[in-house]
Amino acid sequence: MTRSFELNTTISNLRDLKASDLSPYDAIYLGNITCRLYEANLLEHLDDLREAIAAVKVQGKRAYVTSYAAPRNDFLPKLRKALAVAVEAGADAVEVHNLGVLKIVHETHPGLPVHIGGLANVYTDAGAEVLKRFGAMRITPNYELSLEEIGQIQRQVGLPMELLVHGKMPLGISDHCFLLDYEEAWGVKCPDLCQQDLFLKQGDWAMKSIGKGVLSGRDVCMLEHLPQLVAEGRDCFRIEAVSESPAYRLEVGRVYREALKQAVAGMNGMEEGWWNTLRNHARVGLCNGFYFGGSGMEYLGARRWAEASGPGRPGTDLLQLSQVKGVIR
Amino acid sequence: MSLILHRADAPILLAPAGDPTAAVAAFESGADAIYVGLKGWSRGGAKGELTSEELQEVLKTAHARSRRVRVALNTIPRRTQRRYLLGRVAELIGWGIDGVIVNDPGLLEELRARYPALCITASIGCAAMNEADVAFYRDLGADAVVLPGTLSLDELRAIAQVPDVMTEVMIHMVEEFILLGKCWMPSYYRLNPTPLAEVHGEGSRLVGSMKRGGAGVCFKVCEQPWGLYLDGQQVTKRLLPSRQISPINDLSDVLDAGVDVVKLQGRSLSPDLLAPLVRRYRAAIDAWMDTTPLPTFQEPSLEPSWTVARR
Repeated sequence: MTRSFELNTTISNLRDLKASDLSPYDAIYLGNITCRLYEANLLEHLDDLREAIAAVKVQGKRAYVTSYAAPRNDFLPKLRKALAVAVEAGADAVEVHNLGVLKIVHETHPGLPVHIGGLANVYTDAGAEVLKRFGAMRITPNYELSLEEIGQIQRQVGLPMELLVHGKMPLGISDHCFLLDYEEAWGVKCPDLCQQDLFLKQGDWAMKSIGKGVLSGRDVCMLEHLPQLVAEGRDCFRIEAVSESPAYRLEVGRVYREALKQAVAGMNGMEEGWWNTLRNHARVGLCNGFYFGGSGMEYLGARRWAEASGPGRPGTDLLQLSQVKGVIR
Repeated sequence: MSLILHRADAPILLAPAGDPTAAVAAFESGADAIYVGLKGWSRGGAKGELTSEELQEVLKTAHARSRRVRVALNTIPRRTQRRYLLGRVAELIGWGIDGVIVNDPGLLEELRARYPALCITASIGCAAMNEADVAFYRDLGADAVVLPGTLSLDELRAIAQVPDVMTEVMIHMVEEFILLGKCWMPSYYRLNPTPLAEVHGEGSRLVGSMKRGGAGVCFKVCEQPWGLYLDGQQVTKRLLPSRQISPINDLSDVLDAGVDVVKLQGRSLSPDLLAPLVRRYRAAIDAWMDTTPLPTFQEPSLEPSWTVARR
């Protein structure tokens, strides 16, 4: 029997949803987790959220509603409304990155399946056990964990682990948007500021700026490791396309859909066209994230060009600077 | 005897101490309690952690003055390390520690189950920001939850209403661009597992990881200049925004809001820098207690490098 898998992605607003061909995907996470002012964020525009859930489900796909990664008190009333809309509109699950929100969901919508997001800081089996009791049905462990650690948690806790297999990995979120400093100079106002093509670069490494947070400059790419992931029992895969174009979402999604089909069928073919697609969409190269136990921007595998096409190997400048005494902690 | 440290009549002034000399300075300057790191296990990083012998010395110093010591065990230990640490806490309790600070919900719950009388604080690394967060950690068994000093008075008032848990605010702290507890920029760049001598076999401090190695081993990438590129062109070079906050002149409002514990960041502070900081906050708390006007303090060199624009 062929095993099944889920390939999903993220979409922040109705405009992007309507512009995106969802055919490669089984499920969509709806909403933007970093900023309430993200253009037409589905978590703030609840009529749009209702419409988005319906639009996803009518295509025979699962609709998940995500939630803010670091909500302050004044976020919570609207978030409660968004959760109520998610339930009314038939969302298949909510994604939670904040443990206070997890408590709210558990108490107000106890039957609603909860997926724990990568910013909820699940690092241990003991932590995952706690969240399971609060209704977690699936967990994206913190991005810093290796596949070995993720496997240990899954074996101990017995919940499916979702993996980011392609796209720019969150590296941190902020309570502030420093892009607001540039509204006047650039003549671009919020919420258009963070929609621009923005990277932060230091020496030989890069991060993508999304205003209230940063993503990896390199795209995490696990394409050539999919057979291993499937063999290890992973079956929930995410393409993180929150800051990407509909073309990225479609073309990268197609590559992974085909590759996953082959992997679950026991085939291990890699088509050159797939790599061309990924290479075209990766602005500063590819990496494996933390899955193999090293630093997040390393790439292991046969496709060594993937890393070399980026800004190069880490140098020593940063380490030397790190010797300088910093601020008082 | 219960080790749980609840606010009775007065707010608690909780100071950092990176070595026994700093501990003495903190107590002599008016700290009700100090927090220290145990070598290998604290989120504040290797700098400013105490050895077992130093910790025992500090405990004697504190208890001779009827003051208290909390021990930060807030790196996130892996499974094997956690087993070791759970046992180690029994030894620490035997030495007389007055509480622990932890970062992982699983460890927190296990500690609560195993040591019902132990005072447990949910670390700043838990990234609690709202009243539901605080209630969540209380439900797991936390006696106190640390919040960033950047929260508004309205937020603190609401959070202080959460019953059966102390509101602890890190009022003197560096506000970094990335939220505390939500940053893995450094490990994206570099990650070096470094063996921990006391945990045979599997113990390691993950140098580069803010979450599992600690702030002192994060290369401080956020404090170095970055080029900002728009459409492939560098438009400016800048630091990621961060600033020191220490709103001592607003302390009476913070205490009126119901905050139980006033926490000062800075385990790397030398005794000569720590002492005046603690004295300043002691005077402010005492003035609030006496319902006398708060002295006006000169802000201690707190030049913001950015203007906070939260939307």
